[in-house]
Amino acid sequence: MAADMLIVPLVAALACLLPIGALARALAVASGLIVALVAGADAWGLYRSAPADPADALVWAAPLGASFSLGSDGFSGALLVLGGVLFAVGAAASDGVAAPRAYFATWCLLQAAVSGVFVARDLIVFFVFWEAMLVPLALLMWQWGGSDRRAATFRFLLYTMAGSALLLLGIVALGIGARTFDLARLAAYRLSPSSQVIFALLFLAAFAVKLPLFPFHAWLPRAYSAAPVPVALVLSGIVAKTAVYGIARICLVLFPIGMSLLAPYLVALATVGTLYGALLATRQRDTRGLIAFASLSHLNLIGLAVFLATPAGLQAALLASVSHGLVVAALFLLAAALARRLGDHSFGPGGLSAGAPVFVSFMTLAIVAAIGVPGTSGFAGEFLILAAAVERFPGAGAVATLVVIGAAVYGLSFLRNAFFGPVSITGSDLGWRERGLLIPVLVLVFVLGVAPRLVTDLAVPPTASAPASTGR
Amino acid sequence: MSAADFGAAGPVLVFAGGACLIVVVDLFRYLGGRALAWLGAIVALASTAVAIAGGPGPAGFGGSLARDGATIFFTVLIGIVTAAALLLGAGYVTREQLPPAEVTTLVLFSASGAVLMLSAGDLLVLFLGLELLSLPLYVLTGLQHGRTHGDEGALKYFLLGAAISAVLLYGIALLYAATGTIAYEGLGRATRNPLYLAGLSLVLAGLAFKAALVPFHAWAPDAYESAPTPVTAQMAVVAKVAAFGALLRLVAATRSGDAGLDWEVALATVAALSIVIANLSALGQRRVKRLLAYSSISHAGFIAMAAAAVGALAAPAVAFYLAVYAALTFGAFAVVALLANDDPTLDDLAGLARRRPLLVGAFGMFLFGLTGFPPTAGFIAKLYVFEVAARGQLLWLVAIGVLASVVSAAYYLRVLLACFAAPLEGAPVVPRARVGTAIVVLAALAVLIVGIVPGPLLDAAQGVRF
Repeated sequence: MAADMLIVPLVAALACLLPIGALARALAVASGLIVALVAGADAWGLYRSAPADPADALVWAAPLGASFSLGSDGFSGALLVLGGVLFAVGAAASDGVAAPRAYFATWCLLQAAVSGVFVARDLIVFFVFWEAMLVPLALLMWQWGGSDRRAATFRFLLYTMAGSALLLLGIVALGIGARTFDLARLAAYRLSPSSQVIFALLFLAAFAVKLPLFPFHAWLPRAYSAAPVPVALVLSGIVAKTAVYGIARICLVLFPIGMSLLAPYLVALATVGTLYGALLATRQRDTRGLIAFASLSHLNLIGLAVFLATPAGLQAALLASVSHGLVVAALFLLAAALARRLGDHSFGPGGLSAGAPVFVSFMTLAIVAAIGVPGTSGFAGEFLILAAAVERFPGAGAVATLVVIGAAVYGLSFLRNAFFGPVSITGSDLGWRERGLLIPVLVLVFVLGVAPRLVTDLAVPPTASAPASTGR
Repeated sequence: MSAADFGAAGPVLVFAGGACLIVVVDLFRYLGGRALAWLGAIVALASTAVAIAGGPGPAGFGGSLARDGATIFFTVLIGIVTAAALLLGAGYVTREQLPPAEVTTLVLFSASGAVLMLSAGDLLVLFLGLELLSLPLYVLTGLQHGRTHGDEGALKYFLLGAAISAVLLYGIALLYAATGTIAYEGLGRATRNPLYLAGLSLVLAGLAFKAALVPFHAWAPDAYESAPTPVTAQMAVVAKVAAFGALLRLVAATRSGDAGLDWEVALATVAALSIVIANLSALGQRRVKRLLAYSSISHAGFIAMAAAAVGALAAPAVAFYLAVYAALTFGAFAVVALLANDDPTLDDLAGLARRRPLLVGAFGMFLFGLTGFPPTAGFIAKLYVFEVAARGQLLWLVAIGVLASVVSAAYYLRVLLACFAAPLEGAPVVPRARVGTAIVVLAALAVLIVGIVPGPLLDAAQGVRF
């Protein structure tokens, strides 16, 4: 049931406050895995066309017209599984944090808020979870981040809050006009095309900042560099996907005409963003900067797929979202491992490959997945996106295809620089703990590369059965 | 006096009687400052109990003193805040060597004036309540004689307050001239004429002054800064509750009859001005009390936004917002009152997070609530106001409010961040205050709980109708 996705992390957060010492991390990992398993089972049930689970509704703030209604579908199910996995991996990778109980309690709260965004079926509840993500995220960056953390957190907060203010304005105006905040009933409420455009823009303000769509990305590089590595991992891997989810399951469902009127402009922005990110990624000499701009590039490509609003585009976007989440997790874990050996996150000419064969092969696999080589989930996602784009907007699709070249440049030159240069630095190979975290993630990357239908089929039910009935 | 009169005047009498009792008790010098504060708090809670136990009933004194859901809700609010302020002030009064009995008495008198003002059913009772509320506050503001801004703030507050009282009285005179009555009911039956409109505008100006709405706000930052901080906490809440309670009742009365006045334009303008100007002014403040004063002006603007969307829905939204605002603003000032330096700049907060994590945690809750972040009650309150305003076709005002909330995040967060800065050398030790800390923590918990389970308070606010 959808409520489990909230209860499990919340209970874990409360339990972390008890004096349980080192168990806090185990608890956070368990909470992530349980959510992933439950959501996976739910999604599998939907996939096997079991009867849809009805939304759990609860009277919450009746005078406001908001009810606490929860529910999930295939699209949110896939992202919930991804979120669970990433939160478990991130928690497992958070070793040696100061004040571990406070850290893991905040961590679990963040997980609850992110899960809440995926299961909310009422716009007010959605907004509450959307904003609630910010507080633990800001706390984690502020309290446990790197040297630039204060300024980076401040900038991140102001950017995202400016976006969510417009979202709130849109929600209030829409809900008062339609006399309901329930997503299912709102989906049946039809607005005129011009007001659909206005509402779509208000909602997109929040989603574009969170994604971040070019040119709303100014907070991203600093936040990725200042946040502790596990937090950057979930920020990029799953928090950015809440924006994908918001565009796909709220904007497209509530404002189909407005979104299709806006589509050419949005697709153009996303195309520019994906090339711009790839271009900047080639200039980075710091692993976190590289991952930040590579992510910007990928996330804009995913945004492009959603803006197409075709079934193929949504399937591709969901697959690419899951794939990007897994790949970026592997990259961040490897970057952290690299930083532990080199002392900081910059990489220069150096040949780690000689003494660390497992490290270099894992890194090669992750980079290969990031730049989309066939056989990896990265390829499947990217290929489907570009195919769908060419179908709807051939020009933009053709230009966006250039990103493949950029990705190859930044990925391969990073590998050459850090691992295959002259042997000037030495570092130990990956330890068993590091391998233990990476292997499941990389296995998933290759499983999805071979069997992308595991994910793409989940995106089908909502898109196949026409927008009117999707807001279940 | 009939039973109905007693029922309607009950809470006012308890407040005023308790204030007199404390004067008498103090004559015998039996009780110390702390005991007097506790006694005052018991009086305030007793008044709350009287209001609840009495329940709604017929108006007293021929309709001059109302007794309905609104008076009960607001009296409870005032009683709780007054009790908390007195307990919070007990330690403060001893430390600053202020006269304990006088402080307690004046605070209770101002609370009785506030209740009188919001229950008023005619213009003279309104004026009486307003003066009874204000005079003790003028004195309390000037108590800390000789402190940097103490005298200046008190003098400004008194002079401007006296002037606005004259304006209000003139407005009442004009209304009497236009309608031949001072009862609210009579105002509703009047027809529109220039005298009537001029009188109403002057009365509105008087109430806007008490609520610290722009352009009648200039006194607030100075007065809030010079008053002893527990008093600031009390007056920031009680004066606003009284002013908005009285305003809503007056608006409801004048909307009903032939006059059918549309207050929307006036209130919406004042709301927009308050929100914009207060938020921009707060951005540059480095003194925490002044910053919170501007914050309270901007929140008055949000409340006026709901009041502008007149109709059956407006009053519960105003009541709910006032209750949440009470917890947030009182709590934030209470945290300041517990510090060693009770008029701190942002730099003076450095190191607080390390020394008093509990206090800073609660402070964070209040500041997030004032910003309007979920899951605090501040979010629900703002959302309620926005919804009501949107229903009243005031979307432009909602847009201003939403954007102002983002601006406000910048200065609220700055205060919170200042608490996390590295401590300065030789900073004074923050005194321990068990009762004060308990009050702050309770307020913070209330903010969180109402934010997650808003149902009960929302239901209670539905009882506030005019």
